[in-house]
Amino acid sequence: MKLTEDHISYIIKDLNYRGIVADGIQDELIDHICSAVEAEMEKEKRFIDAYHTILKRFGHTAGLRETQKQTIQSDNNKPKDMLKNYFTVAMRNLRKHSFYSLINVAGLSIGLAICFIIVLFVRNEISYDKHFANADRIYRIKSDLKFGGNHYNMLYAPPLMGPTLAEEFPEVEAAVRFRERGSYLVKRDVENIKEDHVIWADKDFFKVFSIPVLAGNAQTALAEPNSIAVSKRVADKFFPNEEALGQTLILDNNQNMKITAVYENIPTNTHFHFDILIAMEGLDEAKRNVWYSNNFQTYFLLRDGADAAQLESKLPQLIMERAMPQLGEILGGDFSPEKFAAAGNKMEYTLQPLLDIHTKSSLQGEFEPNFDIAYVYLFSAIALFILIIACINFMNLSTARSANRAKEVGIRKVMGSFRSHLVRQFLTESVLLSFISMLLALGIAYLLLPVFNELSSRQLFLPFSEPVFYLVVLSAVLVVGILAGVYPSFFLSAFKPASVLKGSVALGMKSGFIRSALVVFQFAVSILLVIGTLAVYRQLSYIQNKKLGFNKDQVLVIEDAYALGNNRMAFRDEVMRSGKMELSTMTGYLPVSGTWRNDNPWWVEGRDPGVQENMVSVQCWQVDYDYIKTLGMQVIQGRDFSLDFPSDSSAVILNEAALKSFNFTGEVLGSKIATFGNFENGEIDREKLETLNVVGVIENFHFESLKQNVTPVIIYLSDQPRGPISFRFQSKNVKDVIETVEAKWKALAPGQPFNYYFLDDRFSSMYANETRLGKIIGIFSTLAIVVACLGLFALTAFTAEQRTKEIGIRKVLGASVSSIVLLLSKEFGKLIAIAFVLAAPVAWYGVSWWLKDYTYKTEIGVGLFLFAGLGAFVVAWATMSFQSFRAASSDPVKSLRSE
Amino acid sequence: MHSPELLKGTLQTIVLKVLKDNGRMYGYEITQRVKELSDDRILITEGALYPALHKLEAEGMLKTETENIGKRVRKYYSLTPQGRSLVKERVNEFVEFIKTMGNVLQVNLG
Repeated sequence: MKLTEDHISYIIKDLNYRGIVADGIQDELIDHICSAVEAEMEKEKRFIDAYHTILKRFGHTAGLRETQKQTIQSDNNKPKDMLKNYFTVAMRNLRKHSFYSLINVAGLSIGLAICFIIVLFVRNEISYDKHFANADRIYRIKSDLKFGGNHYNMLYAPPLMGPTLAEEFPEVEAAVRFRERGSYLVKRDVENIKEDHVIWADKDFFKVFSIPVLAGNAQTALAEPNSIAVSKRVADKFFPNEEALGQTLILDNNQNMKITAVYENIPTNTHFHFDILIAMEGLDEAKRNVWYSNNFQTYFLLRDGADAAQLESKLPQLIMERAMPQLGEILGGDFSPEKFAAAGNKMEYTLQPLLDIHTKSSLQGEFEPNFDIAYVYLFSAIALFILIIACINFMNLSTARSANRAKEVGIRKVMGSFRSHLVRQFLTESVLLSFISMLLALGIAYLLLPVFNELSSRQLFLPFSEPVFYLVVLSAVLVVGILAGVYPSFFLSAFKPASVLKGSVALGMKSGFIRSALVVFQFAVSILLVIGTLAVYRQLSYIQNKKLGFNKDQVLVIEDAYALGNNRMAFRDEVMRSGKMELSTMTGYLPVSGTWRNDNPWWVEGRDPGVQENMVSVQCWQVDYDYIKTLGMQVIQGRDFSLDFPSDSSAVILNEAALKSFNFTGEVLGSKIATFGNFENGEIDREKLETLNVVGVIENFHFESLKQNVTPVIIYLSDQPRGPISFRFQSKNVKDVIETVEAKWKALAPGQPFNYYFLDDRFSSMYANETRLGKIIGIFSTLAIVVACLGLFALTAFTAEQRTKEIGIRKVLGASVSSIVLLLSKEFGKLIAIAFVLAAPVAWYGVSWWLKDYTYKTEIGVGLFLFAGLGAFVVAWATMSFQSFRAASSDPVKSLRSE
Repeated sequence: MHSPELLKGTLQTIVLKVLKDNGRMYGYEITQRVKELSDDRILITEGALYPALHKLEAEGMLKTETENIGKRVRKYYSLTPQGRSLVKERVNEFVEFIKTMGNVLQVNLG
């Protein structure tokens, strides 16, 4: 029999009353029970009796509910739905608290973007030279020479080292020597182009370095004198759309070179980038049979299976057998290897693996500046710190807002949530946040990379084409999400529902020891970075402004003056006649690194050159009359060179260091110093002595980086001035000066490129690494502070929000705005003070470590530390006061009206 | 009447087979059909039936459709292609089980 509408309504109501409310099951049970009641009523029962019989069959209310519960459980036992629910709730929460989410996302994405860039950078740095096929078997010679008070740690080896290794040592498969001779002017027919990356190299270059040869035969290229190999870049530049192989290029206007090979451009992550290789066969210097001169960077390929250490152990014997006899011959007198060593001298050659070069080597004779691995570590540490600071923001905000979510946790627990469910819920939120941040971070990194590349002179890019990249990105999302979410999730899920719902758990700002510790950590790291940045800048400005012993400003250096040929002097005179220049000098010996250097042993005339102690190794600089005046060096004893003294062709001026090293016994001025003359081919002629009269002494001047001490220099006149021409000018109108000089150049040297630099620019470039370091750390520390302040901003906003009522009451009772601002900022002020105390000693240690490389360094005083601490405090306070002030100045009526 | 303990593991098999033989059915109909087939010796309790149905649905073995009958809403279950292949498997499995039990208990099931 059919049930009436009323009966059905009754059943629906009754079941509802008994707690059968779940969406998926309610209708089904109603229908089931109705059907069953109908069947029962067939047996002539009254409706109500039939209904109760059926209810009994279900087990009354308890049974019904049990059925409902079990059905819900089997419904929900689908992982997909569960995740979907976590996701929905997480999204809802992020949207609801969009201000805090924004702060978190901003911080995390900045941190992640920095991490990306640093990881790319580090990956690039450690990939240097690994692309060579036999990278692990390539070594180069390192020399450690000590002679006459000078100590050289360099890459230059004697001309015989390379061939001897290749021919006499079975361990060596092939060797290649390099000889740097600066830049070259290169032309095809008329127009010269200046090429910087030109090197003389032995023919086995392609055997040692697996650089693909695109045209020509790698075996025979560079075998003949006057043959060159060029990179694809150069080939395309001089012979666009033409076959470059077999063509001729003219170097420095006078050397015709035949192209015997075109090779693939050398990858950027290589420690050299030669564009033109000139066959060593054509260099006389390379054929000298000497062991005492060191000019060749020597690389070699070790035979497969040979032991490098064993080879290295054979080198001292080689030096003993070959170099020492030659040395004895030159020095004469009572020379013996034992005495040589006893006088503190040294001639040692060791091996350096190719793969160590880029990150571990910084010697005289590097082709390009390398990157110290310590900075790689430093950068990684900074990136990690910034990321941690961003994660801390997340933790702090989540736990601070815990009061708002405590009720949610309580209710969820009452409803049967396990702790693990809550942990998963909170972790989903943080992972979701980290995912959003990651997307943003990729965008930020993409935009920042060009800037960073500019700063670090690298060519980094996001490797979107590598599958590993996506794997890394995804795992980073998980790691960061879990890192940021694990503490809040355990903190929040630990609440006891009873006490939370009763409202007896005091939460918010007061309950945060860990939170305070995290804020302290954030600011300690920020202050550390700020101090580091300030110290680097302080040292840089110290270097730039230190009294150098010469005047680096307002000096224009015209390079490649040899291109003028016989018009050199005419050019110089013409420019001087223009009236724009004050003084000029023509020499390659300039007080910035990368210019000419030449050192030889000299002694005070009258002393025995055979006695080791009498020999002084000095820089011998050949200059012209106006050198000292043009560069603004100070004569402190005697006089400058002068045309009034015809005898000045044999006059010499010493720097203070040289004065000290020579250790004159009598009056310095008028003393004579001597050295051996040279044969035509450059070999030393012991029979011929050269002597010079000391006419003056100049103040020490720094001619290398301030990392090095000033070494002895002697300056004397050259009978044939050569090299770049330096002009000192007064005019402030630099452009006009350059235009004048260029016009003269064009007139006297048609078709030759006009190249110039300012001495102070070249001087600054000696500190390019430091400047770069300063800038990079500066950017990082700014970002670290920004991220930390973002967190602080949100925390204060939150506190102010929490204490709205308190503030309202205080104001009603007469508190002033300023006292409330102070009240709100006090707590964080304390934390920042603690952070400063923690950061200062670490920063002091770090700064001292960095400065230890410098012979001349600035004082890092207390002032700098206080400045950094104060700076952090002010920035933090400014951040906080915005929120505090807003809270303090709000109308108490509004905050107290509602409840 | 059979003990519910014995029925426990076979509920899904029963539901699947009944649905296979009868096409679409609703919950109450299934209990009645089973009762009929077993000569009142198997009574499926609602407490066990609905969780089982929902579980099979969640696993994708059953699909559902609803029909409004006046104030009541009736939910019909039927097999999905997946569920259809499961029926055979489950039934075979059960027959094997019975045979094994026969051997274990040393009775001839004829």
